[in-house]
Amino acid sequence: MSAFREGGHFPDGTTLGVGAALVALPFLLPSVTLASELVVFAVATLSCTFLLGLVGLLSFGQGLFFGLGAYVSGVLLREHGLGTLPAVAAAAGFSFLAAGLLAFLAVRRQGVYFVMLTLAFAQMGYFAMLALKDVTGGENGLTGVPRPPLLAGAGTLSGPEAVYAFLAGLAFAAYLLVQRIGCSPFGSVLRAIRQNEARAEALGYDTRRFKIAAFALAGLLAGLAGAMHTVFLGFVPPNAIELEMSERLIIMAIIGGAGAPAGAFVGAGFYVLMADWLSTLWPRWLMLIGVLLIAIVLFLREGVWGGAMLLLARLRRARRRG
Amino acid sequence: MAEAPPPLLAARGLGVRFGDFRALSEVTLEVAAGALHAIIGPNGAGKTTLFNVLTGRLRPSEGIVTLAGRDVTRLPAHRRVHLGMARSFQVTNIFADLTVAENLRLAIQAVDGWEPWVFWRGRSALPAAAGRVEALLEEAGLASRAAWRAGDLSHGGQRALEIGMALAADPRIVFLDEPLAGMGIDDVHRTKELIHNLVPARTVVLIEHNMRVVLDIADRITVLAQGRPIAEGPPAAIRANAAVRDAYLGSGM
Amino acid sequence: MSGQVLVFQVLNGLGIGMIYFLLSVGLTMIFGLMRFVNFAHGALYLVAAYVAYVVSLLTGSMLWALLVGPLASALLAVAAERLLLRRTYSMPHEAQILVTFAVALIVQEVVILLFDPLAKNVPVPDFLSGIVFLGPFVYPAYRLAVVAVSAAVALLLWLALERTRFGAILRAGSESTEMVSLLGINVHRVFLGAFALGGALAGLAGALAAPLRGVEPFMGLEALGIAFVVVVVGGIGSFTGALLGGLLIGVVQSVMSSFWPEGARLMIYGAMALVLLARPAGLMGRA
Repeated sequence: MSAFREGGHFPDGTTLGVGAALVALPFLLPSVTLASELVVFAVATLSCTFLLGLVGLLSFGQGLFFGLGAYVSGVLLREHGLGTLPAVAAAAGFSFLAAGLLAFLAVRRQGVYFVMLTLAFAQMGYFAMLALKDVTGGENGLTGVPRPPLLAGAGTLSGPEAVYAFLAGLAFAAYLLVQRIGCSPFGSVLRAIRQNEARAEALGYDTRRFKIAAFALAGLLAGLAGAMHTVFLGFVPPNAIELEMSERLIIMAIIGGAGAPAGAFVGAGFYVLMADWLSTLWPRWLMLIGVLLIAIVLFLREGVWGGAMLLLARLRRARRRG
Repeated sequence: MAEAPPPLLAARGLGVRFGDFRALSEVTLEVAAGALHAIIGPNGAGKTTLFNVLTGRLRPSEGIVTLAGRDVTRLPAHRRVHLGMARSFQVTNIFADLTVAENLRLAIQAVDGWEPWVFWRGRSALPAAAGRVEALLEEAGLASRAAWRAGDLSHGGQRALEIGMALAADPRIVFLDEPLAGMGIDDVHRTKELIHNLVPARTVVLIEHNMRVVLDIADRITVLAQGRPIAEGPPAAIRANAAVRDAYLGSGM
Repeated sequence: MSGQVLVFQVLNGLGIGMIYFLLSVGLTMIFGLMRFVNFAHGALYLVAAYVAYVVSLLTGSMLWALLVGPLASALLAVAAERLLLRRTYSMPHEAQILVTFAVALIVQEVVILLFDPLAKNVPVPDFLSGIVFLGPFVYPAYRLAVVAVSAAVALLLWLALERTRFGAILRAGSESTEMVSLLGINVHRVFLGAFALGGALAGLAGALAAPLRGVEPFMGLEALGIAFVVVVVGGIGSFTGALLGGLLIGVVQSVMSSFWPEGARLMIYGAMALVLLARPAGLMGRA
């Protein structure tokens, strides 16, 4: 089901599938920490997938909001003694607002100019982080971030399994949100804007406002993922806000397929697992990723998830005929 | 004798400049409520540019546009829709990858209050909304093709959808840009009837090259040539107008 | 900051600025000509820099490096275009961005594979390793040579654009691709030529920059970022824009680096964002 392209139902088989996968993941993968990493990047990739698949906006700046979420949550946890849940929520909220503000500027431009603008913002974020090294730790990152209970006194995150449960819960919530939006009036407007913005505007939709809202939402998702990353690692590496992060998220989104939110999970899973498995065998595995990216753009536009859905549809049709 | 009611739409002294090129100069026109007002002229006369200014897609370099007495010159297109304006496009401009029904539903949803911002539930399952889509599909003759991908429709079907989308928001003034372009004779007849039946409940502003239809159904005609109005009046007067005949060089009249 | 340091930094800035010009002029012309966004442009810079490194190791001659480096980049550019990029012309911009980005990634990984991830030093050629006296100031000879060589190339390029048929087509094509094809000119061949030339110039920039900053695999990514800034600030499709933009960015970066290095980079990308928002045509581009 190409949820972003056509709509679909909420909830549906994919919802169940994603939920089941999240439950099964720590048992299927060699370690729980790997599962946690996957889940964190799934949410981060979801922010790219949502923007590209539903609204048609390619943003090279989602790493900026990932980084913002990571640093804000890190500072809140370390310097202000917030519980884990409020820190994560505040970081996500901050990213939401920051994204909304930047979107107000960015949506004034379309196409390549928009992409370049997101790139410029991403770079500015990184160098601002370096400039503010007293707060962010600069090149060394933000170390010594504690992992307090979720709320004051309740929900201690003792051990990697508890952390995974927390992160997987957030990831599922994020997935539900995006899937819900895809099958809602708001989502239908975004879909129309991606198809034909001029027509949407002529129908009476304030397309600029919708794009800003979508961008802010994507910022929320990326910021949430960044905060999850901080909780997961216990520190904030400077690469959380580097341009490379934005690029990594785009790669994951494209590999998984931007046609549906499940694509984000598939893409993130693919990348994280490849990195874990191949990096010890062959450190230059990114080369293969580059080749895969080209192959997908040229031959399999809807990515791995989209390809799987196409295959399923074809099998169903064959069975009906036979 | 009773005074004529104020025009629903009025434009005064409109001018549009693209760099050194003057697309429109000193265009003044008034459209009475419930009238079918046609805008004709040779290619490149600025008809679509005029439409773009009247509907808010383009800002004029000078002049004002008023709708029911309210100055809307600087109001963006999407805001004008909520004041009761709608338009169709000369080059078919539908959502090709969405279904025919979805195209129409989007048009209806646009003016349905805060509905476009609802993200926590599915698309409106209210029977009223569905009924509206059904009615529009019937009117456009597309009921049997509701689930088709809009891009797969025939040219005539797509033009019908264009008009359907313009009417979906129940506008009080509709701008139709060459609705009959490229249509077969049956479609032309059906569409002509459809357009004619829109008035006087609604007001229609029409750009068309099909002179026979224009002279048949229009209440008033404005003729543009090279960005300027060169004649305006009822069909009989326009038909007899020498300047208009010159501008068209006898084509289609 | 003392006068001497300021002059030094401004001169450095001009030198770097000329390198930025060479880096960006190809990118801006290609974008103006074919509306093609080339995220692999930085890789062309990278390849030539490493070729310069290898050549200087093998022969000790910078001259050879300056010839072979750009040639390697031009060949890479043409190969990429023929084998891969031409399939993306009919695709939306996003596809072009992603494919060229993937090419850049692959090139970067190949470089790390052949060499290693650490930065390497490229020695300044012996005959240019001294200093030159400019009145009361002393200045490294190599940096001056960079300015001289870049300026000479810029002049040759300008002459080519103004005086040759190819140059005229290039300028016209940057304004309107349809016009050029309507004139019966094989737009594709012109584009290929421009692509190769742009690649060679980026390569020259890389080869010239190698002794100044050393070579390391991520310099391609960094160069791409700078190239985008220069293209945006100078104006898409404009030769003079690339020149003015390059010099401006180079001088600003150089001067600011001496008292607030992080701020320098921040300002540069801030300038890019500002131009994109306020005047996307840049300094010299068509509106």
